[in-house]
Amino acid sequence: MTTTAVKGSSQKKGFNPFEMAQTQFDKVADILNLDSSARELLRQPLREYHFGIPVRMDDGTTKVFRGFRVQHNDSRGPCKGGIRFHPHETIDTVKALAMWMTWKCSVVDIPLGGGKGGVICDPHNLSQREQEQICRGWIRQIARNVGPVADVPAPDVMTNSQHMLWMLDEYEHIHGGKYPGFITGKPVGMGGSLGRTEATGYGVVYAIRESLKELGIKPAGVLASVQGFGNVAQYAIQLLQQMGGKVLCVSCWDQKEQQSFTLRKKTGVDLQALLGITDRFGGIDKAKAKDLGYEILPGDAWLEQEVDILIPAAMENQVTAENVEKIHKRVKLVAEGANGPTTPEADRVIKARGIHLVPDFLANAGGVTCSYFEQVQCNMNYFWEKDEVLGKLDLKMTSAYHAVSELAKKQKLFMRDAAYVISVRRVAQACKDRGWV
Amino acid sequence: MRAAPLAPAFDRRFLDGVERFTCVGTGGIGGKASGLLGAHKLLKKSLGPSEFPGLRVEIPTLTVLATGVFDAFMERNALRKIALSDLSDELIAEAFQKASFPAEFIGDLRALIEAVHQPLAVRSSSLLEDALSHPFAGVYATKMIPNNQPDADTRFKRLMEAVKFVYASTFFREAKDYIRATERRIEEEKMAVILQEVVGTRHDERFYPDLSGVARSYGFYRSGGAKPEDGVVNLALGLGKTIVDNGVCWAYCPAAPHAPPPFASASAQLSGTQSRFWAVNMGAPPAYDPSAETEYLVHAGLAEAEYDGTLRWTASTYDPESDRLSPGTGLQGPRALNFAPLLDLEEFPLNALLRRLLALCEEETGQKVEIEFAATFEPGEARFGFLQVRPLALSHGFVDVAPEDLSGEGVLLASESALGNGELKDIRDVVFVKPDRFEAKHTRLIAGEVARMNDALVAEKRPYLLIGFGRWGSSDPGLGVPVGWGALCGAKAIVEATRPDMNVDLSQGSHFFHNISSFGVSYLCVRHDRGYAIDWPWLERQKTEAETEHVRHVRLGAPLRVKVDGRTGRGVIARESP
Repeated sequence: MTTTAVKGSSQKKGFNPFEMAQTQFDKVADILNLDSSARELLRQPLREYHFGIPVRMDDGTTKVFRGFRVQHNDSRGPCKGGIRFHPHETIDTVKALAMWMTWKCSVVDIPLGGGKGGVICDPHNLSQREQEQICRGWIRQIARNVGPVADVPAPDVMTNSQHMLWMLDEYEHIHGGKYPGFITGKPVGMGGSLGRTEATGYGVVYAIRESLKELGIKPAGVLASVQGFGNVAQYAIQLLQQMGGKVLCVSCWDQKEQQSFTLRKKTGVDLQALLGITDRFGGIDKAKAKDLGYEILPGDAWLEQEVDILIPAAMENQVTAENVEKIHKRVKLVAEGANGPTTPEADRVIKARGIHLVPDFLANAGGVTCSYFEQVQCNMNYFWEKDEVLGKLDLKMTSAYHAVSELAKKQKLFMRDAAYVISVRRVAQACKDRGWV
Repeated sequence: MRAAPLAPAFDRRFLDGVERFTCVGTGGIGGKASGLLGAHKLLKKSLGPSEFPGLRVEIPTLTVLATGVFDAFMERNALRKIALSDLSDELIAEAFQKASFPAEFIGDLRALIEAVHQPLAVRSSSLLEDALSHPFAGVYATKMIPNNQPDADTRFKRLMEAVKFVYASTFFREAKDYIRATERRIEEEKMAVILQEVVGTRHDERFYPDLSGVARSYGFYRSGGAKPEDGVVNLALGLGKTIVDNGVCWAYCPAAPHAPPPFASASAQLSGTQSRFWAVNMGAPPAYDPSAETEYLVHAGLAEAEYDGTLRWTASTYDPESDRLSPGTGLQGPRALNFAPLLDLEEFPLNALLRRLLALCEEETGQKVEIEFAATFEPGEARFGFLQVRPLALSHGFVDVAPEDLSGEGVLLASESALGNGELKDIRDVVFVKPDRFEAKHTRLIAGEVARMNDALVAEKRPYLLIGFGRWGSSDPGLGVPVGWGALCGAKAIVEATRPDMNVDLSQGSHFFHNISSFGVSYLCVRHDRGYAIDWPWLERQKTEAETEHVRHVRLGAPLRVKVDGRTGRGVIARESP
């Protein structure tokens, strides 16, 4: 899974992520002066699939789960995007995320389009067998519309390499062949790429590293606060600490209490110790954390810390108009590890306060970049060493960051807008070149 | 500990960047890089571009992977245990090759490789070297990579292999032995790595400089009327490996570059000068061996150099009818590498530049120095690359050895070409190559046998005298015993002897000699044709402690007295027992 479940935040009253994605797009379309046909094409997904997945449960009953796949745009290449398992999943969330995937693939200039999928379910309450049935059922419903040259899924919230392997197996069974390039995020040795697990978190830190250079801050000694403790957060913390930074707190979701909390240690969190008391969904055992000397604070406390860097790496809609003012005055950089963690209202405040922001679809593009590498390796059935994967990843991320940053400086744009300008321009051009608009 | 970087941060444009000397990561940059950084600043400050017109004098563009990168590599891959084990060099190298490079730095190397398509030197720069203030010459690996493959993935892979190989060489057997001899611990050692453009020009499948050289402001070996303070310069065609390996090269005194060379005739000069040179192999990929220092090097002959047109600056042409040599290659005939176009005709002011650089570096460091360099002389693009500077460790407090001390009762051996200075009174062990078993074809076997005896004596902490034939440390087994420094690191006195079937010019100064000097080892050259013989019968009578097919170790009842006069170069080893 790429991010941890902190809250079903998309369901916060009045918040519609797809509307937010469209608002962001409209703003950029104005900057780029896109014509109406291009706007109309890009404001909506090209295709969206809704289906039911009947599953015989362990207790003998049959339950029908709702599944989705949205293909926002494939003008630059096959769609690419994760499959989320979440009890509060909505088609609007999936549509927004599919659109963001289009921009994300475009901003790092990989030849892929944007897609996203999901199933309304809660893996916390499902056995492994039941999850396998959902995975296989999802593929059975969509097998004709996805594939290595059409739409390539990947793990996302509460899905992992095991889920991907079940899906691949079902896909290959249906199509009668071996198609390791159909899906990414597979286990290493089974078509997976070395470095994929680390890729998103490391990518966030590569963007942070370049930002710090521009801000004239040395990484050694910087303080950070992280929301979430899933895969992205864990590897971001690891690399940031290896570069000499200190992470003062992390937050995570408490499944039992159905709310999030923040863990803080002023001397810096001990990643290895925390991993020892963390479940597979990124939930940290609060009692054990207390024994290890961590302060237990409310879920939003991660945002208020006196640090240099904030890394929201959990869910969308976390930094909002309601809490953005709580960001400490010391904060100089926000690097969005999660997709859509900041609302447009909060964005305005961050911009006004002069905080440097690395927008989500740039900061967390390491995951999809490495997924692309995985697909390339699978398609040629030749696998690279980790150094090679991470070297290429760093280069892609760094050059994408500087392209955005240079445009932002040149045209005096907010970093998010600059990133959007680059990505939307590339996608609109591809649509135009193909004669679509 | 995170030290402030000593050089500007790496610029991903590398050759096209503003800075020529940059650094990746934090921590130390090691002895070699520190020396270069000092030289870089010195050249900028003291050597104006108009001083040597037509010749660009500079430090070739480089970046240093600081020791923080090495620390991260070691820790994250948990390599310490393997590194400090007694595993063979090959197994240690293999473990390092399998390890992953620290993720935060890998993008810099990838970017460098994407930006550069010419050969790179991957050089060690050790921290202890810096801490001990004496150079570890030739102890750690340097690897050249051609870096000319069209595919960036392949180039990147080769670079990573080379960096990991240099890291692994920190823990090779020779390095461990070397550190042990310094009474420091290998655990303290950290390695920075220099990634530097190779000075040279591509000629077909070879890339090499017109010449490489080492210049010292103090000469260990004297010839003619030159004084030690006049210094010595060694020049070779191609890469500097020829000199480092103690191979045949051209040696002269920079105070007297026109002095007649020590050859009886022009024909002797023709046969006694460099005939092969090292280059980076730009041709077909060699057999894959990331653990070999010479993986991408090629050892070519003068015919290839003639074809490449690189003898223009380095050779003279032999005229058999007159038995004379004419500087340059304007005439047809055999070539002798005596560098006459540069030293005699002064087509480029090489010697003047070397003297200037030696003086500058001496003044800056307050010590006698050694510099390494490489140059190309393509008109309009002539370039002098300053590759290294290091202090020369010289002995102080002279002892007197008079001419009459060299002979008489009680003299085991004597020499008028001794290196070092001082007196040793605690040597009771002698390891010597058996004169009756020696043949040039056995020198590789002898190297192994000497290494084993050295290990045993080092373990017992017994200093010893080592006697052999030809050049110790020669990479050419035909010229002497091809041992690394670590294989004789326990010897406190070393003797190089000639005999009719091993009648080579003895060592003219190399990395090997640097170590001898650094460790204060007494080094005596005994030529069979100069009247000072070794008292073999006496040695044969001593009690044998250990013996192999070609080497014997004897233990003496009373210690030897080794005396070397650093001013005159006279040395004598006296025995007390009859």
